[in-house]
Amino acid sequence: MIPCAVVGVGQTHHKSRRRDVSVGGLVREAVFRALDDAEMTMADIDAVVIGKAPDLFEGVMKPELYLSDALGAVGKPMFRVHTAGSVGGTTAIVAASHVQAGKHRRVLAVAYQKQSEGNAQFALGSGKGASLGAGGAFAPFIRAYIHRSGAPEHIGWKVAVKDRLNALKNPYAHLKIEDISIDKVKASPMMWDPIRFLESCPSSDGACAVVVTDEEGGRTAAAAGRQPAWILATSSRSEPPSFPGRDPVRPAACLQCADDVYRQAGITDPRRQLDMAELYVPFSWHEAIWLEAHRIAEPGEGWRMIDRGETELGGAFPINCSGGVLSSNPIGASGLLRFAEAANQVRGAAGEHQVDGCRTALAMAYGANSQYFSMWVVADRLHPFD
Amino acid sequence: MGTSRDIAVIGWAQTPMVRHTELTETQLLMQVITDALTPIGLTRADVDFTCLGSCDYITGQAFSFVSNLDAIGAWPPKRDSHVEMDGAWALYEAWLRLHEGDIDIAVVTGSGRSSTGDPSLIYPMEMDPFFLAPLGADPVTFAALQARAVIAAGIADERSMAEVAVRSRGTGDVDTLLGGDYVRQPLRRHDLPPITDGAAAMVLATGERARQLVARPAYITGFDHRTECHNPSFRALDDSPSTRIAAAAAGLGDAPIEVAELQAAFTHEELLLRHVLGLGQEVIVNASGGALRENPIMATGLIRIGRAADHVFGGGRRALAHATSGPCLQQNLICIVEDGEGQR
Amino acid sequence: MTRFVESTITFPYRRSLGPMLSAFMTALTERRILGIRCGEAVLVPPMEWDPATGAALPLDLVEVGPAGTVQSWTWVPAPTEQHPVQRPFAFAFVLLDGATTPLLHAVDAGSAAAMADGMRVAPRWRGERVGRITDIACFVPGEQPELDGDDTGPAAQPVEIMDYNARITYRNPVPPSADRAVELSRQQRLVGMRCPQCERTYVGGRGYCPIDSIELGEEHEIDLAHTGTITNFVIITPVQYPGQTETEPFARVFVLIDDSDVVLAYQPTIELPVADVRVGRRVAAVWASPGEEIDAGGGMGVSLGALIGWMPTGEPDIADPDLVNRIF
Repeated sequence: MIPCAVVGVGQTHHKSRRRDVSVGGLVREAVFRALDDAEMTMADIDAVVIGKAPDLFEGVMKPELYLSDALGAVGKPMFRVHTAGSVGGTTAIVAASHVQAGKHRRVLAVAYQKQSEGNAQFALGSGKGASLGAGGAFAPFIRAYIHRSGAPEHIGWKVAVKDRLNALKNPYAHLKIEDISIDKVKASPMMWDPIRFLESCPSSDGACAVVVTDEEGGRTAAAAGRQPAWILATSSRSEPPSFPGRDPVRPAACLQCADDVYRQAGITDPRRQLDMAELYVPFSWHEAIWLEAHRIAEPGEGWRMIDRGETELGGAFPINCSGGVLSSNPIGASGLLRFAEAANQVRGAAGEHQVDGCRTALAMAYGANSQYFSMWVVADRLHPFD
Repeated sequence: MGTSRDIAVIGWAQTPMVRHTELTETQLLMQVITDALTPIGLTRADVDFTCLGSCDYITGQAFSFVSNLDAIGAWPPKRDSHVEMDGAWALYEAWLRLHEGDIDIAVVTGSGRSSTGDPSLIYPMEMDPFFLAPLGADPVTFAALQARAVIAAGIADERSMAEVAVRSRGTGDVDTLLGGDYVRQPLRRHDLPPITDGAAAMVLATGERARQLVARPAYITGFDHRTECHNPSFRALDDSPSTRIAAAAAGLGDAPIEVAELQAAFTHEELLLRHVLGLGQEVIVNASGGALRENPIMATGLIRIGRAADHVFGGGRRALAHATSGPCLQQNLICIVEDGEGQR
Repeated sequence: MTRFVESTITFPYRRSLGPMLSAFMTALTERRILGIRCGEAVLVPPMEWDPATGAALPLDLVEVGPAGTVQSWTWVPAPTEQHPVQRPFAFAFVLLDGATTPLLHAVDAGSAAAMADGMRVAPRWRGERVGRITDIACFVPGEQPELDGDDTGPAAQPVEIMDYNARITYRNPVPPSADRAVELSRQQRLVGMRCPQCERTYVGGRGYCPIDSIELGEEHEIDLAHTGTITNFVIITPVQYPGQTETEPFARVFVLIDDSDVVLAYQPTIELPVADVRVGRRVAAVWASPGEEIDAGGGMGVSLGALIGWMPTGEPDIADPDLVNRIF
């Protein structure tokens, strides 16, 4: 496998409705930020990988066709992935695969969603009534987690507050709730019992882009004083929607995917060897669920890390310093944002929400009924554990 | 090419190609993946990576591909991906993935039931959302405008197009066909593809494993795809520059090919592609009948690669497969498969 | 004989335009057509970026047309409901005067014989314009623009949003396995198919085992109990969206069917107030009365048909701490 690195990261300002831009304008905002960050132009890119969640959300079918020229892909390979909510992560992984396979040298990964153009809840139900929405689908998983871990209900509120406080440090974040507090979360309406409104992700317009290069590209960036994020490992796993005995709270696909990236990266003790993680947490309780399903915490211990404040920015194991999906959720881009934020952390480029001394970070995205998982581990050097 | 590993097609299968299937896409895939693996002596447990190609708008359901995970044997969980593209691009992702060097066997699929909706109402949704989709600009209209350009350039005429139709379908008479009404001038019914439901699955393996499993692997020696700008208003429709670039990058000119399988859903597309690829009379084109005979959207391109692989399985040396997407051949993929002779 | 279920999906979209498209669409309401400079070229339709390179284009708009020349065309003898003209017409590439690239639009010329490359055409404007490409109803032969209906004038404000409504009808076959499950449900039978290899049971006519990747048929059918226990649930406060049918909080429950490994997920409840939904609660199946509309299948292939929900049996709750983990 050929080593590769992230040398450019860009994202849009995320909002509930970016009515100031067209869909092309939205993706280009992220792309030019990533290219500027990489000190490249569109002409330097060999191939483009685009990801987004269902085309029905915006009503542009196979948008790799409409957006080919918007992304400067004319005369180049243009690839489209779609793995449900994990798609942003898969976009990064497939872009990395283009380089790791030795077939392309500088690949642009782009992911976006312009949720305001349609209505996700409506599209999820294919235009029929009584759509459960994502919250309705995931609430039972959360109920099961709370029951089996014995976690007190304030854990969910705590994560909701922590991520919104982090978002206040992220200029691109959608939700900026200056007066966020436990009381405010607690007082917010119960949407999908046991999930309250402020424990839920927003619906956002937004895009994210990263530039992935080969080892030479990474070294060139480093020599010019631009720290690359070296991609130590990527992995994906999927499992079927439903069968008797399937456990969506501690999904086998998640455990295997995490084990796979740790093995490739040389990580034997993720809690110690990773400095932070960007985990896909659309509902606050998923932070506890994923801490355990990534073996960062033992089963039943994830909520205790949260309770002790360890996952706060400045804590022993910060999670979602960017504000996470709870603060910005352009669905198709939400996964790539996790991967991009992890890269920025090890590049020391995370601005106000930078984790001090962050050298190794994990990013994950998941999709459908906790079935699709994609992850990568990035570091500020190629062989951090030698 | 700098290929670090040999990667080969070692088998593939397709479902019966029908006007209407009564099976779900998942059921189609369940059957066709089994049919692709069984003759090679493999099971789903042997497969290291799967990549599926399908399209929500064809199904009319967001996240329609999720239930297709039921078909791949993803328990225990599997390395897996999905492209909202023809299965030929799923093959490209799997080919990249195998090049990474840590795994050996991949299965890719393409599947679609286009019989459930009216393509002339669905396909405008893939067009420019501001200038073209609101006009209901449909694929047959764009094909007709491209056919006019191809005819004007002297690359085709209505007779040669009808000849393509007769040869592809193995039925009909050119003079009779030319007496038919236009659907969109200069296209008549025979110039258009049928509506087909179906799925295909293909098995890829890295060199050593491929040679253990089958007598004649079809090595992928060239693989490339390119796109063009979207709106046909800005393109020269009598050309296909993305096909030309992809073919050069895939090494088409390195050695003669014996057969070509082109994803030409409209008759003039075959003639344009032959012209752009510089295929001479000695090259057998679309002996299978191509997309004019069977056109299972999202699998049609992958099936071209399967047919090219069949040529190698059957004793041939080198074959080309082409897949396409978008209006007026916007995006094109070239895959070259060979026997092992030129390889080692 | 295959049974089909038809569903028409209406997709309402609201597209934001951004500065360039907003200027173009607003100009349409003023009966003006704009192109954009791209080097020496004047692109129509105007683009935010150079279609060849992706480079950003400065917002240098120029008025073109209104008349132009047909560069190429094709006759549409049978328009679809989405087409701008509802009688036979031509789709044509129209090179508007002053533009260097052609606009695709409809030409209403009466017959194919009236069409020719090089012919001159001019827009027929809609009287009521909203800032949409269809504000040009079509083009007509000649040099003179026309107006269709009473002129309501230009938009009062710059147009920033474009509505787009697509309606697509899908006609889905009901797979035989699901069709049979629906038919059995009409006889008030809840039938599962048990995989002969892993012995897991699947309901709703799934027709295969995803674990062992084998097809399941009638020989694998087993009748399941009509009673079960709620293992988990969600209470949903409905948000409004186009097509939403619910207004009050409603429950979806997970029911572990007695004497089986089957959990039916996200089930509706009947005569069970949301406040009384809890894990361990005993429930019984409720069946549609004959003639009542039911889920006839044809979606993603699984249907419980006439099984319309679950109501409390009045039995004591089951106290099993593992119940809540049975989501699937």
